[in-house]
Amino acid sequence: MRERITYVQKLGDSLAPSAVTVDGGTIRGPEVHAAREDRLTIALDELPPELRALLRSTQGLHIRWVGTVAYEAVSPLLARLPPGFHVLFPPIPSIVDDIASGSLCATLVKIFGDISCSGPAESFTSLPEGRLQYYQQLDSLSHFIQYAKDQLCRGSGSSCAARLDSLSKAASLDISYDASQQVLRITALWPYQRQLVHATSDARLRTEVGILSTDQPQTLEPHEVGISGLLTVLGQDSKPSPTMFAFASRHRDAESSFSAQFLSPTGLHPTLQLRLDSRKPPALSPSPDVEDADDADSRCAPYAYLTLPRTIFADKYQLSDPLFLASKNLTALRYTTQPVDLEAPEYVTPQWGSAVLVQLSPPSGLQPRGKQKQKQKQEQHLEQWTAEIPLHLRYLAPAPGGYSTIRVPYPAVFWACEADEGVEFPPSPFEKAHLGYDALFSPRTVFWHVEPRPAEGRLLVSSLTVPVLDVDKAGWVSAGTAAAVLAGFVWVAWKLLGVYLRDGYGAGRKVEGEKKRQ
Amino acid sequence: MAKPSATRESAASSAPSPATPSLVASFFHHPLRLYLSAALLRVAFLLYGLWQDANSPVKYTDIDYLVFTDAARFVSRGQSPYERETYRYTPILAWLLLPTALKTGHPLLDTALFSSGKVLFAAADLVAGWLLERVLAKSKSMDAATARKYAAIWLLNPMVATISTRGSSEGLLGVLVMALLSAVMARRITLAGLLLGFGVHFKIYPFIYAPAIVWWMDQERMGSPSGGDKPRPSKEKPSWVTQLAAFITPKRLQLAAISLATFLSLNILMFFIYGPPFLQHTYLHHVTRLDHRHNFSPYNTQLYLASAAVTPAAADAAAAAAAPAPTTLHPLLRSLRVESVAFLPQLALSCALIPLALAKKDLPAAMLAQTFAFVTFNKVCTSQVSRFLFPFFPFPPSFFFSRTRVQGEMMAIMM
Repeated sequence: MRERITYVQKLGDSLAPSAVTVDGGTIRGPEVHAAREDRLTIALDELPPELRALLRSTQGLHIRWVGTVAYEAVSPLLARLPPGFHVLFPPIPSIVDDIASGSLCATLVKIFGDISCSGPAESFTSLPEGRLQYYQQLDSLSHFIQYAKDQLCRGSGSSCAARLDSLSKAASLDISYDASQQVLRITALWPYQRQLVHATSDARLRTEVGILSTDQPQTLEPHEVGISGLLTVLGQDSKPSPTMFAFASRHRDAESSFSAQFLSPTGLHPTLQLRLDSRKPPALSPSPDVEDADDADSRCAPYAYLTLPRTIFADKYQLSDPLFLASKNLTALRYTTQPVDLEAPEYVTPQWGSAVLVQLSPPSGLQPRGKQKQKQKQEQHLEQWTAEIPLHLRYLAPAPGGYSTIRVPYPAVFWACEADEGVEFPPSPFEKAHLGYDALFSPRTVFWHVEPRPAEGRLLVSSLTVPVLDVDKAGWVSAGTAAAVLAGFVWVAWKLLGVYLRDGYGAGRKVEGEKKRQ
Repeated sequence: MAKPSATRESAASSAPSPATPSLVASFFHHPLRLYLSAALLRVAFLLYGLWQDANSPVKYTDIDYLVFTDAARFVSRGQSPYERETYRYTPILAWLLLPTALKTGHPLLDTALFSSGKVLFAAADLVAGWLLERVLAKSKSMDAATARKYAAIWLLNPMVATISTRGSSEGLLGVLVMALLSAVMARRITLAGLLLGFGVHFKIYPFIYAPAIVWWMDQERMGSPSGGDKPRPSKEKPSWVTQLAAFITPKRLQLAAISLATFLSLNILMFFIYGPPFLQHTYLHHVTRLDHRHNFSPYNTQLYLASAAVTPAAADAAAAAAAPAPTTLHPLLRSLRVESVAFLPQLALSCALIPLALAKKDLPAAMLAQTFAFVTFNKVCTSQVSRFLFPFFPFPPSFFFSRTRVQGEMMAIMM
């Protein structure tokens, strides 16, 4: 088992080596403004048996949990996903299908608690190249924390439990099983905040601590992120050693923000409105010149990636008409889960929901003229633009009170830019892969993330109140329908009886008249 | 049984003196004027629809038309039309619309080809109108001009024209039903059998017309080959066996055999080509459909409640809701699922009671009443389903033409 703790500060902040003291297996430092990432790497045979059996039968498993509270991210830990619980499952060879499919959902429930999946075949949806995907909302990691304590903290004292408890404040948690190296990597990220630099190593682990910040040396290429700071291996080093490196990163910061909310009144066909701060592609992206319109379109475009729970869905046929899309500031629907039943109510839909990738279309029009910063600032409020994504609600199960509330997570919004020719992206220490949307782009796409800002409150979730059948008042429905139908039937039958009694069922006078004329 | 005292003379047929024809009379005097106007109306809507589609985010074309044309495109590539989600019709419709899938590269020609389905439906409208005119003339013994006046309710109806030019297939249905009625009234049994079989394959519900037509086709009307009415050999009332035997006439058997053969052979052919998805989408879907969206039927809310009650969570809620139900209800009634017996009043009325009472008196009116009952008591009543009534619209006003007590009763039933 190996552990890696990284404090990442912003550009310009750095810590002098003298401010950090390494003492035996403990490192101590001052309060810093940083994001913290903890990564635990566990070999397959160190895992509990049921987990071992499950993972051995897969070709990889990737679980990503993102909290609903908005957080600030720091380069290079920038990759974002809609808040909730995501599972990505590469294709399973048919021979071991049974083992994996039988126990996957049961294991997820055991570890995470309230996971309402019934099996990969029913609840999961497929991504390109046979990968399977699952998503649901999960607000807290408390069940996972309890499970982890039971598994990892036996007889280790309170420090292990305390560290696991701190997960309740984490911004995201990634659990990735790498089948080629047979290791499980658990990565937790805490948001950018003031915190004390402090870590203690455990006898069982090899702990590496890094206190880093982004750096921009002269030799940095546009596609690279530069890092510099201090590295220490606890128990081995007596003082931190300075380090500096750069790597090509697929996740960058677009340095703009967006918010999402439903246009009201919502009705049965709510429209999600995204309000974005900036129309231009990110400054360091391959196409800085907006005047070069053709280039910009082909190299960089804004996208929204939505993971919609099964209560709400997008209609791909509606989103296929160019005129309609243009009126909503959308370019195209680039991907949607197939198939999406357009008619079924929510309670007969077994899948978790659908994933949708929409390309947005910033309106041309006002461009900041020249390079004057002041003029740009004044026109910043004119830079704002909105895109609307029309969605549709499924009928929900009846509920007491006549209303149900559904929650839809914020999408992940980013500018996807095709990297320049010859740029490679070898694996990097902070790489985040298997996010779901990265499977929908070419391997050389760079994602410039737009920061989500909650429209109301602190949560990156939009709520909708949906009218449903009021169960409290539905007692008479069955009897009432029967009575209405019976009344109608009896009335019509009575009228017909009247006709029959008067004239019989024969043709009546007309035919008699014809006969008489013969 | 007194003779109706107020049978109006076919006064409208006595045309005003040719020297001073009113504008309206002269319009209906020549068939060309009416049909040309109807055709021009549809052409105008078609062209307007093309303009609206190209210039507005809100489209004129019906979503169903996009479903049909997508399915036709699949068929043109040799695939099954059921690849298109929500295509729940017979493959013949996709075959009919194959020209819409052709691409020549020339934009104007492509648009014209894509709209060829709408043109087909609009043309079907006109044919249906012509058949309507013939049926009116024959069944009410009115002259052609008067029949055209009533047929104009269908032909010059903007709603009907819009439905066809938007790309809804109900025009084809109208032509089928009117052709069936016309064939029956002309005593052309083979044709009627073919049309009935095809109609049921196309849309299922025309089977309700079978009882009415069969009941109408009695010996007196059809003329048995052995001559007119035979005087009854005895004064006793014939036994029910004899009555049953008398009911099964050769003509009725012919109708039943031909329609059944047509229906079965079409189904077998489609099943052979497209397999189980054909059965699933064209027929079985209508048995298990759970529409409680856009459903105007009285069973709407009951369907919602019942379908949601299957899930455990909702079942608890439903059980809790069932508690306040009145305790005076018999336990059997309380547990009875209303929607599962919905077909009983529906079929009893549309297939048994109405034909029995009315078919011999006035076949078109009876078919209208049947359709009305079928649609009203159906579990699902979307706006498309209610369009089944439209071809019959000219008939209620025509009751005023030759007012009889029977038809007065019919009017009461309609209301």
